[in-house]
Amino acid sequence: MRRPVQDHEILSAVFAKMDAVALTIAAGTLGALLLFLATAILLLQSVPENYPVGPHLSALAEYLPGYAVSWPGSLVGAGYGFLLGGIAGFAAAVYWNLAHYVALGVMLISSAELAD
Amino acid sequence: MGNYQNMQAVNHSENGVNLKLLHAAIRFNSMILGLTGGSLAAIIIYFATHASMARWGEDSGNYLGLLAVFFPGYSVSPTGAWLGALWAFVYVGTFSALSYRLYGRVLGTRISEILLSTTPTENPVLRPSIMRLHGMSLGLAIGAMAALGLFCSTAWLVIRGTAAESVHAALLANYIPGYSVSILGGLIGAIELFALVFLGCLLLAAVYNKVVARRHT
Repeated sequence: MRRPVQDHEILSAVFAKMDAVALTIAAGTLGALLLFLATAILLLQSVPENYPVGPHLSALAEYLPGYAVSWPGSLVGAGYGFLLGGIAGFAAAVYWNLAHYVALGVMLISSAELAD
Repeated sequence: MGNYQNMQAVNHSENGVNLKLLHAAIRFNSMILGLTGGSLAAIIIYFATHASMARWGEDSGNYLGLLAVFFPGYSVSPTGAWLGALWAFVYVGTFSALSYRLYGRVLGTRISEILLSTTPTENPVLRPSIMRLHGMSLGLAIGAMAALGLFCSTAWLVIRGTAAESVHAALLANYIPGYSVSILGGLIGAIELFALVFLGCLLLAAVYNKVVARRHT
């Protein structure tokens, strides 16, 4: 049987810090896999000869130089996916931690004003 | 803040969990995640709009302009960038807040499982622990919200009578077999997207927890 959760654990969970490095790596891995699979799935589908493969996904090359809907391009895409996912993960972790600090600051100021 | 022990006497359920504190904790973090997700999305849309204008000038907005279907008033223009940021804040903020709410509800009294250490600290607020992620709860919450999002956006395309012209949305069928811009297609797509997002969240949580364990234990 599971032991009951203590109050200090609930408070710890609310204010627990996100590990920015871990979220950068995790989101980067997911981003890499996502862009690699998105490209690979298009490449594995049969298309008529001389018909462009993934013209819409290829438009990503406008933002990601070197990317293409091809097998070498899927590896380049995985690299970009890791970079972009990592940036998103890092930003989310930093913003999450920062938002908690700001909220905590506001609460401390409010409680100090109430005490006065 | 320091005398949080005073709360222990109130609102305990049968198994001794302070449900009032637990629900307040979930509400608080829902708000924080809503603000986090909404602000980041607003920044991304704002800069993507300006990047598109800087890159393509008069010809910009071919793909990004499609957002106007869901963001009324949006266009790839300086004013449109602000409107897009506002809509992105509203949509992603709501999505994020509801996702955390669902995550918290699914996690429930297992909330201590997301802590690296359950040893009482001197002050859990000022000296916070490191957070872990609960993959199953995360997958269920974000998967459900993503599925709902896909179904609602597909339904919106059907309701406004542009389903047949929504060729870009129909391309999702490349990744979600059986999806089409119709109510039934949206339903099938929602179920498949739920499964895909669920797996993605399991992977995200597994990698995150592994790195956290390596760095902090």
